[in-house]
Amino acid sequence: MAPQQQQQQPTSQDWDVQFNQVRREKLFRDPPTDRTAYPALQAAVDPHIESFNALFRDDGKPSLLDHALAEIGTKTFLDGDERADPAGKNKLTIRYKSIELQKSQVPPTNRWAKNREIFPAECRERHVSYRGKLSATFEYRINDGEPHEFVRELGQMPIMVKSNKCHLQNNSPAQLVARKEESEELGGYFVVNGIEKLIRMLLVNRRNFPLAIVRPSFQNRGAAYTPYGIIMRSVRPDETSQTNVLHYLSDGNVTFRFSWRKNEYLIPVMMIMKALVETNDREIFEGLVGPPQSKGVANTFLTDRVELLLRTYKKYGLYSKTQTRAYLGQKFRVVLGVPDTMSDYEVGTEFLRKIVLVHLGCQDVTEQQDADKFNMLLFMCRKLYALVAGDCAVDNPDAVQNQEILLGGFLYGQIIKERLEELLTVSFRASLRDYLRRNPTVSFQSETFTKDFPMAIFRRANENIGQSLEYFLSTGNLVSPSGLDLQQVSGFTVVAEKLNFLRFISHFRMVHRGSFFAQLKTTTVRKLLPESWGFLCPVHTPDGSPCGLLNHLAHKCKIMTESVDASTIPRLAFELGVVNISSAATSESVVVMLDGRIVGWCTPEECKSIAETLRYWKVNGENGVPLQLEIGYVPPSTGGSYPGLYMSSQPSRMVRPVKYLPLQKQDFVGPQEQPYMSIACTEQEVIPGDSTHVEFDPTNILSILANMTPFSDFNQSPRNMYQCQMGKQTMGTPGTALAHRTDNKMYRLQTGQTPIVRAPLHNTYGFDNFPNGTNAVVAVISYTGYDMDDAMIINKSAHERGFGHGSIYKTKKVSLKDDSRTRSAKSIVKMFGFAPNSTIRESTRDILDNDGLPRVGRLLREGDVICAWHTVSADYNGQLVNRDGVTHYERYKDSEDAFVEEVRVIGADNGTEPLQTVSIKLRIPRSPVIGDKFSSRHGQKGVCSQKWPAVDMPFSETGIQPDVIINPHAFPSRMTIGMFVESLAGKAGALHGLAQDSTPFKFDEQNTAGDYFGHQLMKAGYNYHGNEPLYSGITGEEFQADIYIGVVYYQRLRHMVNDKYQVRTTGPVVPTTGQPIKGRKKGGGIRVGEMERDALLAHGTSFLLQDRLLNCSDYSKSWMCRQCGSFLSTQPTVSPFIGKRKAVSTVRCRNCAVRLDDMEDVDLMSMDGEIWEDGSGTQWIGGENTTVVAVPGALKYLDVELAAMGIKLKYKVDKKDEIRRGQLVGKKAGELMLTASASA
Amino acid sequence: MSSREQYQVPNAQGFTTGASNNDGNSGSSSIMWYTCGDCAVRVPLEKGAPIRCQKCGARVLYKERTKRMVQFEAR
Repeated sequence: MAPQQQQQQPTSQDWDVQFNQVRREKLFRDPPTDRTAYPALQAAVDPHIESFNALFRDDGKPSLLDHALAEIGTKTFLDGDERADPAGKNKLTIRYKSIELQKSQVPPTNRWAKNREIFPAECRERHVSYRGKLSATFEYRINDGEPHEFVRELGQMPIMVKSNKCHLQNNSPAQLVARKEESEELGGYFVVNGIEKLIRMLLVNRRNFPLAIVRPSFQNRGAAYTPYGIIMRSVRPDETSQTNVLHYLSDGNVTFRFSWRKNEYLIPVMMIMKALVETNDREIFEGLVGPPQSKGVANTFLTDRVELLLRTYKKYGLYSKTQTRAYLGQKFRVVLGVPDTMSDYEVGTEFLRKIVLVHLGCQDVTEQQDADKFNMLLFMCRKLYALVAGDCAVDNPDAVQNQEILLGGFLYGQIIKERLEELLTVSFRASLRDYLRRNPTVSFQSETFTKDFPMAIFRRANENIGQSLEYFLSTGNLVSPSGLDLQQVSGFTVVAEKLNFLRFISHFRMVHRGSFFAQLKTTTVRKLLPESWGFLCPVHTPDGSPCGLLNHLAHKCKIMTESVDASTIPRLAFELGVVNISSAATSESVVVMLDGRIVGWCTPEECKSIAETLRYWKVNGENGVPLQLEIGYVPPSTGGSYPGLYMSSQPSRMVRPVKYLPLQKQDFVGPQEQPYMSIACTEQEVIPGDSTHVEFDPTNILSILANMTPFSDFNQSPRNMYQCQMGKQTMGTPGTALAHRTDNKMYRLQTGQTPIVRAPLHNTYGFDNFPNGTNAVVAVISYTGYDMDDAMIINKSAHERGFGHGSIYKTKKVSLKDDSRTRSAKSIVKMFGFAPNSTIRESTRDILDNDGLPRVGRLLREGDVICAWHTVSADYNGQLVNRDGVTHYERYKDSEDAFVEEVRVIGADNGTEPLQTVSIKLRIPRSPVIGDKFSSRHGQKGVCSQKWPAVDMPFSETGIQPDVIINPHAFPSRMTIGMFVESLAGKAGALHGLAQDSTPFKFDEQNTAGDYFGHQLMKAGYNYHGNEPLYSGITGEEFQADIYIGVVYYQRLRHMVNDKYQVRTTGPVVPTTGQPIKGRKKGGGIRVGEMERDALLAHGTSFLLQDRLLNCSDYSKSWMCRQCGSFLSTQPTVSPFIGKRKAVSTVRCRNCAVRLDDMEDVDLMSMDGEIWEDGSGTQWIGGENTTVVAVPGALKYLDVELAAMGIKLKYKVDKKDEIRRGQLVGKKAGELMLTASASA
Repeated sequence: MSSREQYQVPNAQGFTTGASNNDGNSGSSSIMWYTCGDCAVRVPLEKGAPIRCQKCGARVLYKERTKRMVQFEAR
């Protein structure tokens, strides 16, 4: 085998549009042992995996967590009394030295496992999380003495599948199959409690770029605050961010705002500037306005305000850097939580390090970095003043131009960093303080402390970081004291549903704007902006509430996950004419910026040539300019965006490939530079002298899914959006490793086919491995009337041949443990199986085996048992025995018949536990029935209305019968011409045995699709236009018109009547009102609401209305007193001679009756009416005028509720309805006039 | 289970409800056979035994398909 492999070519990764049956079959039977045949698929999820890989790198470069640990830095603790002065105390300094994550492994207590690795497939099957041991190495010193190290375990951290901490990294398809995965397993998600979860990508403000914002809410910060501001989201090397905002005050002042641990703070910007560097007012003035000779000085708007800025700051009386830093330090000492040993000046320095423009230095900040921060602040102020003056346009934070993507792995890293810092500064601090309180005499230098230090003290701290990460992944909720500079606290994770493969892959290309924006009343954030061209797909967004907020990446759009090496850029910039002196006039000097650091300044003309030169070098790979560097050249304009050259090399940017015309080579452009570039869509559209780039393919702007819509350029655009939704709801093929999956619900199409009409990308992405529908012969004809209103008729023979046949797999997990906490064998209280000596029904025995689990393959009906268990307790020698002899059963509650597909018995990972958890996979066959939903790939959905017998179906001259009949009225208003073209192409493809290329934008007015496929049809002997004479299946006569018939790929959607139908006549009711309960699951009713009531009234169908509102609802018979008109005073009489068993005989009104005891000189003989007794034996007389009425239960309830408030309802029963005594007239409940009169 | 040894009235399919573990049935009635998820070896497990494959220590075992006739309604 091996030598053969070496001779063979590596697995080919090139695909065309053709069927490639043999090649595909070979790939399927013998998965390649070298590399995947579908690299595009892996590339689609790479941003997720690479961002996770950046957390723990193995290539020697510092990982994100290394950066994070450096930023956390060293923490200092003092012993002795807290309130005492720091002097004379011992000092303990501690820092994280490194952090390690182990791959997923069996615990060492398991002595039986031969293979120590735990693979993701096992975690899915066992419904547990795929995680590895996280541990941290700490280094501590006492009084700056010898450093000591110790290691603490921080719990089990969930690992991303196929990341560098996963066993599946770089596995070949053959290996993946051996490890029970798909041959094209993509990874990029976490397995949490057996469910696949992924952290979704979020759009956030572009990093290290000062955004000019006008936001009215800024005025709420206080008096004099204006809507103008500059926002800078500044990102540290560990990918955590800190947003700094400059506010413009109406008097010309500028304040610096930041938020720290969810609190906002405002500082005069002058104070920050003076604290950063040793400076003076002249330097700041010239930094903002420009040198004396420059044009900036002429700008009196600016000079007036800068003068005011400088003057008003005088009142603080802080002049030198030392003074200012000490002042800041004094104010922020408590906020930052720094140790007492630090001086105010040091705290001020720490403040600048941690909060001010952190991207320019946040660990061991040098003087140069502080100068950079100072210069950046000057630039931000300058832009702010330009914004206020109207010289600079507002930057749109909703445009992709000013956005980047927060990747899942980076967010995960941010959470880890915060948890680590929290562990040291909160948990550890608390437990140390606790320890020192309990042992006040112990000093850090004492023997007892050295003995106790890591173990005894750390044990009291909550160090289970893994658990909190698991919580984050399973709920998507962010529990964070700082908020991580994000606008939302929940909705960060989603389940990667494997409903079908298209849906699954879409999850990884999904970009959300943030749930904060979902509640926003304005729709501006949802708009499709031209800036998104090529980065976000214009078609693939859901309609409805998430429309425009939940976007999908264009299929060629990449997300950078690493910084590119831009170290040569500053040198090159200086060589190209960049200088350090600047002026406020943008006609004189514009900024050259790299990753939010001001490199220098140059004239606008120089700026253009620098940008062009750098781009040439970048594409050609010269002078160390990296290809993925973004060169955002903003040209000078009057009142447009603030001009300059903004270069970025850092991760989280979107980039996409386009062809650079001067070199005819691939260039990567980013969203910031793209709006100012001229990129032609096609080669023909290149404008000489203007266009610098041309698209490789016009379809590059579409997402993976949108690319799968055939001839989408022929359709009305919303139809393509609908198809993107329906493609994801299709009952298709989720994967091939179904036997190793235990999803709660899985849909599978039994008879999937490859579409005849498809784009070459279909093969590139390997969608033939996951068929999503069936090719159907479709006739567009109004036949039988059963195809009205988007209904479709299915040929019964097609149905019998398996058209659209599918099944649902449901997994039921039965666990006898009360919660997820691992228990030892001793505390097992329940076991599967029948209790000894309990009687077991034959029918139960028929379903369950001796182990109490169902037989695999067995049919289950509603109410059948699915497993048996009994309680156990330990006897004198530790054996678990059952004592009560009672067998308990779990039952199958669904109404549909199901088959037991798999029964998994699941052990604990230490290998010692008896059976406590089983996972039973059931298969529910779902052949298409009337009412099931189908759709073509053009947003043309319909419901199956009939399965028409084949003999009665129309047939063509070649004897072809349609599989599906749809109504021609589905087309005129929807204009899905693409479906016609697909029908034509599918027909020609089926006749010639060809796969048809359906890439959009291939045909034009001169070369029409209709002509191309029409000629193919002619060659096959068919009508050029695609219509044929059809004969009625019933009469055998030819139809008067020729019928358009062709082959269209049909998808079966997951919305099936069997999951939806809701019928009820009687059933469960709400106890208080007696009205039917809500909910299909519980057998409830559907509300006949006000509008439905109106409709029935309008139709005059009052009996129907009464049936709906009363008889089928809360109809109830009730006794009431005719005299006093009350429900509440009636009561049944109790005969003292007959026992309780007798039903209600007579009902009397207690209110109208007179108590016998209260009557004086009773003459029983002259009494009118009989004497009756109530339950307590009291005798009454009178109150006989009662009757039974039919009223809604809710009315009685209302009466009772009102009575509780002291309101009496009195019902008047019409005289006509009085029971006529003496005469034999048929009793009639009759119309009852209820007039309620309320009296308090 | 003691009920397995008892006489069982043959049902319509001609199967007795008890004898499903025919091959490998070592006589002890409480032993059930499972298939290992990792090495596909057949694993006998007694009631209350720890769940693991005796050969490779795998922690997920599959129940074997029933030997009884499973007749579906053919329509």
